[in-house]
Amino acid sequence: MHALNPSDRHASRAAWTALHYSNYHEASPSTLRALRQVLKATVKIIPEVGVKYYLQFTTDGYINGENAGSCLATVLYLKKSPPEVYIKCAHTQDKKQIQEEDNKFYHYLHHQTKPIIANNIPDSHGNIDRAHLPLWGLAIAGSSYIMLEKSTENLGYFMAQVKAVKQRIRKDSAVEFEFIILLHETPTQKIELCHMHLIWTLSPPLRVKYICTSDNHWLEDGSGQDYGSAAGLFHEKEGNF
Amino acid sequence: MSRGAVRTWDIFIRLEMRALLLLAALGAVAAATTENFVGHQVLRIVPSSDAELQKVRELQELEHLQLDFWLSPRGLGDPVDIRVPFPSLQPLKAHLEANGVPYSIMIEDVQALVDLEQMQMLRRRRFMPFSTSTFDYTSYHTLDEIYAFMDLLVAENPNFVSKLEIGHTTENRPIYVLKFSKGGTNRPAIWIDTGIHSREWVTQASGVWFAKKIVQEKDEGLANILDQMDIFLEIVTNPDGFVFTHTSNRMWRKTRSKHSGALCVGVDPNRNWDAGFGGSGASSNPCSETYRGPYANSEPEVQAIVDFVKNHGNIKAFISIHSYSQLLLYPYGYTTTAVPDKEELHQVAKEAVAALSSLYGTNYKYGSIITTIYQASGGTIDWTYNQGIKYSFTFELRDTGRYGFLLPASQIVPTAQETWKALEVIMAHTRGHLY
Repeated sequence: MHALNPSDRHASRAAWTALHYSNYHEASPSTLRALRQVLKATVKIIPEVGVKYYLQFTTDGYINGENAGSCLATVLYLKKSPPEVYIKCAHTQDKKQIQEEDNKFYHYLHHQTKPIIANNIPDSHGNIDRAHLPLWGLAIAGSSYIMLEKSTENLGYFMAQVKAVKQRIRKDSAVEFEFIILLHETPTQKIELCHMHLIWTLSPPLRVKYICTSDNHWLEDGSGQDYGSAAGLFHEKEGNF
Repeated sequence: MSRGAVRTWDIFIRLEMRALLLLAALGAVAAATTENFVGHQVLRIVPSSDAELQKVRELQELEHLQLDFWLSPRGLGDPVDIRVPFPSLQPLKAHLEANGVPYSIMIEDVQALVDLEQMQMLRRRRFMPFSTSTFDYTSYHTLDEIYAFMDLLVAENPNFVSKLEIGHTTENRPIYVLKFSKGGTNRPAIWIDTGIHSREWVTQASGVWFAKKIVQEKDEGLANILDQMDIFLEIVTNPDGFVFTHTSNRMWRKTRSKHSGALCVGVDPNRNWDAGFGGSGASSNPCSETYRGPYANSEPEVQAIVDFVKNHGNIKAFISIHSYSQLLLYPYGYTTTAVPDKEELHQVAKEAVAALSSLYGTNYKYGSIITTIYQASGGTIDWTYNQGIKYSFTFELRDTGRYGFLLPASQIVPTAQETWKALEVIMAHTRGHLY
């Protein structure tokens, strides 16, 4: 077990892995967090198992950019499965306020009579329409599941852009969306395209199904880069999710 | 900005001044030398062969025709716009026809456009800057707009700013560097480049802001530095890639070269330098975002800078700017071996980052490339350092992942301002430790 320089890229990569876990599991667009700064990091190699990071870091609210307090986390990178994460963050926001904001998001999305369709969130200039903020939030929460599964000690991810999003109106209380998102992979610098199907019922878990351009299944199917063909890969029947 | 827009903008910049003078002269006795544009036409020629291009270039020598080139001859397919005074119209047209050079009449009567109200109306509608004071630094711009900005800056500061063409891209676009100099010959110099990776838009936008800032500070904060040193600034280091991010794929990173046999386009210009080339930290796969290229300096964008640096021979600081991650880095990226000047570079980086953070509290990390970001071979500042340019640094600007490459335009100026604080530290240190 040895201490890491907080500036070490492995430390910030592990911190983001922990945040992907938290951002997915909270299923709450208003508590999404981004990494601000790693304060402390130690690493331990567990023979036959993997590598475990112990981290203390500060965060910003993903959507509002404001100071969102600090977190303690452990991230265990395993050989053949997604990382195991334990994370505990200080609450800087009033629980009631969080609930209110999530409710606002939820009700906005749930009360659409026509399915929301949008492209390029943010746009090329980094702009996001106010009306699209909840979509961005949901996309981050959902893609965090994808990014968590893909993260390794040496591969990190950020959600670069929502290329397209389409709502599926439901009769029940859930909100359902299909997304095409772009993930930025480091250090390869690759931009990965993923089709993500997401169902949100305000409380966790967020139900996510996805397929990305690098996934073997995609290549075997011969679906290629065509956005449209990916739709058929998901269960289409209502309630059968 | 479209060609039509460039033309219109060009009209404004040249005519506003003249129109103002013209209005002032109303009522005064019209001297023979008072300019007016009655009967003047603007012709457009698009050279489609070397012979045509040559003929058009030759026109620039015919002084007696008093031709006013609004768009100068560049290459094949690039339009050439010429304002032709009335007396020269017939001779010129005859000359062009005799030599088989096709032309079109873009403006039948230039005088008709000398209408201040119309200009203002069009200006408002097209938001075109008359000067670098009205240029919008809070927006992202196209290549044409940035190149136009550069010309404006030079025109406004002819004794301080000049534009150098250091090469051409794969798609035959000119590569420009701005030179800021108070005189002397081949003074020790500072080099700054932005936009080597085209999708990192906050960098080119910051480069534009830096250009203006240098002019503003030349007799103030930069006076001490500019008394001894020159500054070179390459704002769009990867023009082909930059255009591609506007027209086709906002996430394009590399150049747009097509090397024989390759299924994919482009080379990572920050893996193409001759420092650890071929080693770990770059890809040999042309489809990879970190493809090193078939050989070092295969990319004209890289070769242009290599040639410039070697020919200049007196660059003392080299700063290459990227986004995102909020890092200030020094060499090496291709090896874990520390550079001999590590202690000093680390200290300079520490001070630069402190200065940067002092403005808006933005957190930066700093260190060598390999420890702080990742192993990368064939990188720019590894090469420049090995050339003897001790103060070689790379920045990764805002942010740390929320917006990433799609940084909101509202953050351009704060990013440029805080980065400038760090640049000031590096430049001052270089100036105080010339070698």
